[in-house]
Amino acid sequence: MTTATQKELAPDLQVNPGGEARFFLRDHLDDQNVGLCWTLLERNLRGASIKTLVVDASALQECDGAGRALLQYLNLGKLTPGAKVSIVGLNEELTKDLGEFTAEDYEAFGPHEPMGKKSLPEEVGAAVASAGLDLREQVSFLGEVLAKLPGTITSRKRLRWPEIGRIFESAGANAVPIVSLISILVGLIIAFESVQPLEQFGAQIYVANMIGLVMVRELGPLLAAILLAGRSGSAFAAEIGTMKVNEELNALETLGLDPIRFLVIQRIAAGVLLTPLLTFYGTFMGVLGGVLVMLGLGFPLTLIFHQLSSAVHLSDIALAASKGVVFGAIVSAVGCLRGLQTQQGPSAVGVSTTRAVVTSILLIVIADAAFSVVFFLLTR
Amino acid sequence: MTNPSETVVAVRHLKIGYGDRIILENVNFEVRRGEVFMILGGSGSGKSTLLKNLIGLYTPEDGEIWIEDGNIVTARDEERLLLFRKFGVMYQGGALFGSMTVLENVRLPLDEFTDLPEPIKDFVALAKLKQVGLVAAAGKMPSELSGGMQKRAAIARAMALNPCILFLDEPSAGLDPVTSAELDLLIKELAQQCGITFVIVTHELASIYGIADRVILLDARTRTIVAEGKPASLREHATDPWVRKFFNRQPEPAEVTQPH
Repeated sequence: MTTATQKELAPDLQVNPGGEARFFLRDHLDDQNVGLCWTLLERNLRGASIKTLVVDASALQECDGAGRALLQYLNLGKLTPGAKVSIVGLNEELTKDLGEFTAEDYEAFGPHEPMGKKSLPEEVGAAVASAGLDLREQVSFLGEVLAKLPGTITSRKRLRWPEIGRIFESAGANAVPIVSLISILVGLIIAFESVQPLEQFGAQIYVANMIGLVMVRELGPLLAAILLAGRSGSAFAAEIGTMKVNEELNALETLGLDPIRFLVIQRIAAGVLLTPLLTFYGTFMGVLGGVLVMLGLGFPLTLIFHQLSSAVHLSDIALAASKGVVFGAIVSAVGCLRGLQTQQGPSAVGVSTTRAVVTSILLIVIADAAFSVVFFLLTR
Repeated sequence: MTNPSETVVAVRHLKIGYGDRIILENVNFEVRRGEVFMILGGSGSGKSTLLKNLIGLYTPEDGEIWIEDGNIVTARDEERLLLFRKFGVMYQGGALFGSMTVLENVRLPLDEFTDLPEPIKDFVALAKLKQVGLVAAAGKMPSELSGGMQKRAAIARAMALNPCILFLDEPSAGLDPVTSAELDLLIKELAQQCGITFVIVTHELASIYGIADRVILLDARTRTIVAEGKPASLREHATDPWVRKFFNRQPEPAEVTQPH
């Protein structure tokens, strides 16, 4: 026999060897002492072979929501599966309350269904199918944009220059400080890192050539595009995604305005126009960083300039400009596409912005590789 | 056990605004235990702002807001948290957490603020859902529920810790007349059977006449309470013409042109 007492409640549990349990409740049963009853009941009844459980509530005066929940739990036999449970001495209100709550109510929400575990081939298949579908959507989006481009850019009214100006400012002008800082630091780092190995061959002066080539042909366009993807591609996705969640895109369509013409083309136009500028600016700052290191090493400015102009040709600058155009188009188009693909739900816009940045960077690197191959073949 | 004429919410000399812009001033009213009290007013009259002040989300420029024996305007830290436990709030859109099931939404306050055993928490939450007639939806996600069901689930969550006051922000907004009437019935039942005091912001006349014990009417022009009392008597006996128009659903002649 087990007995436990507490001042306000004084629950009393008696279990006899024949499998009969009697539980006495007195005074109050509320959220303060339900825990105590629970510990007592669980310790003695859970797993024990109980045939009958009688809960005697004739001395119970007050019972709150938590107390009722305990009575319901016991009444439905959840603690003593298979045992016959009876609750005696309840007042009219509590009896009615208990009767209203059935086992079906409890089963209604059921145990949380575990997420269906898929086999590996199934998961791989689903991933490939979704990647294929995504590629298809990207191609169809590209087609749609290209089809609507001539009609939009030839109409001054449709192109909405003030909107392009606003995007130019937020995505371009406002990005100047961060582009300056990162480019100048990257220029400094490359110069510092390459000075020592080249010193072994007395070829320190060629640091200028390397900085020129690396910044103009690769890092300038790449850094500008990656910063644009992080700052503005994500912003485009969030902006259009929020518009979609707020049904603003539906409103545009029913007003007869095509979201591609009204929102997407302006952003792509701004991206295509501003990325080459940002690229040239970033390249200049990167080269400046390298030049600062060389000046620090004692090389005269005229010599550095001579090395730079002999290493960097007009074709390299043209390559940088074309990379800027392509990368700008990729970043803004992907940002808009991911925004338009936004689903419903609280995390949808966040998912879209993440996808915008990841896809942009992936496509930028793929396009950069393609540029390298084409340039190599053209100049061979 | 409870004294029905006892004041549970008291607002004194309340002034609400943003800096120089005053939205409401000299607002005084009391809500008594167990009554369904409604805050009415036209669009832009500051009803929702007043509600946000009452529940402590905004700080008023001046005045006192007493929830039982605590002034929510001056309460800080522990005292403020204790005051928050005395009332529940249903926001206009339900504000259920989208990543949790309905049951988990209702269980959340119990998980955070009680030491009840796990299965008992489920039972308490289910009992609350039973009260609002939503047991069958306990395992669903909020996005799977209709607007009316989301609001009822939000009421169940607001009731999880047995508060004595429930603040509801436009419970009928966006609901069809039948669902809206069902929600009114639920509010009336909860007020009568569980002794919960309701403070409701609305401009739904059917609800006002159906369930309100007392109302106050806010006016954007005078920036204060222009009428207070039982809705039926205000409809019949109000002296202010604008108040009469509000309760009789008549248009302002200058602003609305008759179609015929």
